[in-house]
Amino acid sequence: MFRNMYDTDVTVWSPEGRLLQVEYAMESVKQGSACIALRSSTHSVLGALKRSVSELSSHQQKILEIDDHLGIGIAGLTADARTLAKWMRNECLNHKYVYGTSMPTGRLATDLADRHQRTTQTYVRRPYGVGLLLASFDKNGPHVFETCPSGNVYECYATAIGARSQSGRTYLEKHYESFPTCSKDDLIMHALRALVGCVAGDGELTKENGSVAVVGKDEKFTLIEGDELQPYLDRLELEGGNNNGGGGGEEEKDDDDEEEDEAKEEDAMET
Amino acid sequence: MASSGSGYDLSSSTFSPDGRIFQVEYASRAVESSGAALGLRCADGIVLCVEKPMNKKMMVTKNTPAGRRIYAVDGKTGLALAGYPGDGRQVANRAREEAANYLETYGSEIPPDVLAARLSAYVHYFTLHGALRPFGCTALLAGYDAATQRHSLHMVEPSGSCFEYYAAAAGRGRQPARTEMEKLAVNPTRAAAAAASGGAGGVGGEEGMERGQQLISVAEGVRQLAKIVYTIRDSGGNGGSGASKDGPFEIEMSWLCEKTGWKHVGVPKDVMEEAVEWAKREIEAEGEEEDEDDDEEDGMEE
Amino acid sequence: MSLSLQSGGSSSRVSASSFSATGTGIVAAANAAGNQVTTRPITTGTSVLGIKYRNGVMLAADTLVSYGSLAKYKNARRLLPVNSRTLIGASGEYSDLQSISDLLIANALEDRCTADSLYEEDNTNEECAKEVWSYLRAVMYQRRNKMNPLWNDVIVAGFQQNPDGSTSDTPFLGTVDKIGTAYEDDMLATGFGGYIALPLMREKYRPDMEEGEARALLEDCLRILFYRDCRALNRVQIAKVTKEGGVLVSEPYELDTFWDYKGYVSTKAGMGTDGGW
Repeated sequence: MFRNMYDTDVTVWSPEGRLLQVEYAMESVKQGSACIALRSSTHSVLGALKRSVSELSSHQQKILEIDDHLGIGIAGLTADARTLAKWMRNECLNHKYVYGTSMPTGRLATDLADRHQRTTQTYVRRPYGVGLLLASFDKNGPHVFETCPSGNVYECYATAIGARSQSGRTYLEKHYESFPTCSKDDLIMHALRALVGCVAGDGELTKENGSVAVVGKDEKFTLIEGDELQPYLDRLELEGGNNNGGGGGEEEKDDDDEEEDEAKEEDAMET
Repeated sequence: MASSGSGYDLSSSTFSPDGRIFQVEYASRAVESSGAALGLRCADGIVLCVEKPMNKKMMVTKNTPAGRRIYAVDGKTGLALAGYPGDGRQVANRAREEAANYLETYGSEIPPDVLAARLSAYVHYFTLHGALRPFGCTALLAGYDAATQRHSLHMVEPSGSCFEYYAAAAGRGRQPARTEMEKLAVNPTRAAAAAASGGAGGVGGEEGMERGQQLISVAEGVRQLAKIVYTIRDSGGNGGSGASKDGPFEIEMSWLCEKTGWKHVGVPKDVMEEAVEWAKREIEAEGEEEDEDDDEEDGMEE
Repeated sequence: MSLSLQSGGSSSRVSASSFSATGTGIVAAANAAGNQVTTRPITTGTSVLGIKYRNGVMLAADTLVSYGSLAKYKNARRLLPVNSRTLIGASGEYSDLQSISDLLIANALEDRCTADSLYEEDNTNEECAKEVWSYLRAVMYQRRNKMNPLWNDVIVAGFQQNPDGSTSDTPFLGTVDKIGTAYEDDMLATGFGGYIALPLMREKYRPDMEEGEARALLEDCLRILFYRDCRALNRVQIAKVTKEGGVLVSEPYELDTFWDYKGYVSTKAGMGTDGGW
């Protein structure tokens, strides 16, 4: 039933020095729909693909506001993310009450990672099965952080997590050096272009399943969804960019598998 | 693996019939796959150095709390970590708490040997219970004891064992690193013996030796550590198993020494750059030398 | 030794309850739970004065700590730097001030250690004066709500912070009292100084005062307080925060006083009164 005897408890090391339960939790991040984040020197932007379970249901919220200066994008178990979001909102409120200023993102990100880590070292809880992207603008400028179930935390110029995120990441890696000078709108367009690659099969990025949020200097965290997103999607359409390469479905899939293997290696918990 | 599947290796609360605790050994194995952490106790201070493989692109590496491997515990103590970064942060946080507690209780800074002992007690506790797992990290602790005016380097391992070192290495490539370190003059006793056998005057005793010229300085230590990092990466680290783990990497270094007023701070960027340049030149020169040896050419002297 | 994994993380100090100083030498009363709480201070310092001037903030206080009406310690420092750009001064229970100072300095050390960089020049993690002041407010108010206040009125001096974390040109001066009341002003005085010195400061204050003028004004106020306040001394300290020089606290020094007024010199019996004032 199990792959081996070392993979059922978080508190058990495998003979190779791996924590399989934690690695499996990292897998659940890849089950979630894609989520990306990037920053310029003035703004941070989050982008996500929202899923709906059926035609009759609403789309799952993927981007959550934490404070005026900070928001998160999530991939993985949404309910786990909500627990963490609630805790993060509390931390930000506490900080504002006590110090009268907004929570520094770096501190929140490392505390969050510590929270992830603690679940990996005690028998009583399972690890959180969710990866988070934090996008913020604080006194040190714009920030993008990525946390994962293992308790690792990275600060990035741009990053992508979730299903088929590799193509988004490839796009970002190709362009991220030009991001610092981007305007807010340009940054949002980059986010959408990166997201398009993450859409499943021959699906399309629409105002229903797309979700973007932006935060910047003198600009509070704002969610851009639905009709407000449409102008950006129109612009994308004009560029001729709004579909996922269309026909080559089969080939595409193979690529994805390879890419995900690559991603797995990348996410191995060593530094 | 003999232990695997025996059933005695599933919990750190279980001894194997031959008296080993496999879970602790497995945890140590997690450290072995991480970038190296090195520490050197020099005549006038201590240098810490970590090798950080940069596996992800688009990472911010300057002025960020993420991805750090060297931590400040209090103003005068530094911690370098190898292994799981998440576990490492937990140990670093604990070290800060211990230091702060000690200061609050006794009104003076925690001596490095006390901190090392407390930290190893903490790490050790996680090897006792089935409901916990041992830490997958090793910590190098550099500190200065103002009372005895002595600086020291300790290493705390996943088992909770803790020793003081002249030179310590953890993580991938620690074996070749140790071999390189053994060539350096950091052990006063041995340096004294070498001086004696070399007939270079009387032996000054340990105290004299520590203050004397025989032991290397932190400035030299920085260069040597840079060289060691480049050496172990060149040789692949895993017994020369090739460059599979090689890729882009960064070096992070800190020191505490007389010059910094025994404060633990980052090694100035220009000093580090100079050290890395020197290390690369040195390795290249040695490489050429070997080549020339291979070609049975003479004339190189070293 | 607690081995809980739950402690730790920089957020732990946000819950001000982590600060629980009990058992100082203060007169205490038992509350319902049987714990002892402070009901009045014993070893006390008197007024602290603070004023903004053209390019900084200045605090002044004497160095006397009284034990009731006994002038017990004559060289006690009540103006204390808490980090490289923030200064506090406090009147009230001296042990509580020491405790507050320990707390703020421990927080500053933690901020340095958890900074984003190992290089001090890149360190942007330090709390600005307003954050220190806000934090103190939270601590004082929380303690008062536990009916166990820290018996001090504190003045915090430093500089405002720009949105990007750099130090602005605008000085900051704020106060927090023992029940958590907090406000900012251009000039502040705690203790007896609130009655004697503040009106004088209000009369003489100009926002563009030079450092010398500010210092002269504060010294005058301290001298007058020494004449009028039975718990004051002419041995004083001046401290300032400037944008360029950071925090600077003077060594204690003595103010010249003038006691040749007739009322001080002639015996009260000769003044045609009954010997009283």
